[in-house]
Amino acid sequence: MNIMKSRPWNLPESCVTPESLVFGRRKALLLGAGALAAPGLAAAQEQGLPPAMRNTRYAPGRAITAEREVTTYNNFYEFGSHKTISPSAQRMPQRPWTIKVDGMVEAPREFGIEDLLRRMPLEERVYRLRCVEAWSMVVPWTGFPLAALLTEVRPLASARFVVLETAAMPAVMPGLRQSWYPWPYIEGCTIAEAANDLSFMVVGAYGKLLPPQNGGPIRFHQPWKYGFKAGKSLVRITLTDQRPISFWEKIQPQEYGFWANVNPEVPHPRWSQASERVLGSGERIPTQLFNGYGEFVADLYSGLQRERLWA
Amino acid sequence: MRLLGGFFVLLGVGLFVAFGADEALGAVLFRWNAALLNTTQAVVQRYLLPMLWDDVLLPILEAPAWLAPGALGVALSLLGWMRARG
Repeated sequence: MNIMKSRPWNLPESCVTPESLVFGRRKALLLGAGALAAPGLAAAQEQGLPPAMRNTRYAPGRAITAEREVTTYNNFYEFGSHKTISPSAQRMPQRPWTIKVDGMVEAPREFGIEDLLRRMPLEERVYRLRCVEAWSMVVPWTGFPLAALLTEVRPLASARFVVLETAAMPAVMPGLRQSWYPWPYIEGCTIAEAANDLSFMVVGAYGKLLPPQNGGPIRFHQPWKYGFKAGKSLVRITLTDQRPISFWEKIQPQEYGFWANVNPEVPHPRWSQASERVLGSGERIPTQLFNGYGEFVADLYSGLQRERLWA
Repeated sequence: MRLLGGFFVLLGVGLFVAFGADEALGAVLFRWNAALLNTTQAVVQRYLLPMLWDDVLLPILEAPAWLAPGALGVALSLLGWMRARG
């Protein structure tokens, strides 16, 4: 006969933390905050960026650029065409923020940014970013695949393009005073490009919420294309069967096209794209076809040789 | 100088007739050459001074198209007339 003596440190099975919570840090933190029934703590948690594991599939092969460089050298034309727009961009409110996903979808929806931070499968990806101006950087973005967001709204089979629209806030964006430009900033890609796993909706950088000068609270990034294709501070994503004409395509179609895939052999009309200046170090390195992501995306363009894929 | 002033006055009158009283100079230039303003802005803000664009050039571009050449023309004509009178 076994006599079971309970030790003081013994705990009943019902007190064991579920495996899913132990191995799901992000959810565990959120649930833990809720369990404490401390509204302030829960709010603080919601205002920050939930932890996200790094996806090592897309190793950049280069050192990560210093955060200070990335957050102080920005292209964001709504705030000016110079690189030091960050003080001005800081005035753009980041909360509340919603992004509408509509057009040719079964279930159009408007998502709050906090809702996306809670629901989407956040991960960190270290991507190279190649600007059309022949400089580059390497950034640890936090976000989720665009495909995950599109799954929520169920695109119609007839949808062929995705249009991304940036916020237009005249009160805080001095660039909008130039009323002759075709605001709001529009960019787009094909449904096939949007469905590629590399197409990333970014909500954070360097483990923090994405700062406004980098396109916070939510931006897009396709690392095999030139940076101007990545819409910042997005407020709307529309699925359509019409190829969009982007902001830059309307202004300078000879220089900035719809596809804008990185190609070192196709120069910009005013400069070479053969090499790039690495932000921070100033080193010049050779530019790679598709910015080095060819193995993941080259097949998207088979059969499109007649298109102007490289600018 | 009076000749130059006369030219700008005529230019202002021409712009007024062609684009009306309200059309901004920037909009007229953008319609004429969409890339011109963007390139100019980039050069001014990146290589000269960002504030020069925002605080000096942009207000001129936002003003009615006829205003800047018209005002410049009147000013030059007046200066020329004053110099001629000794």
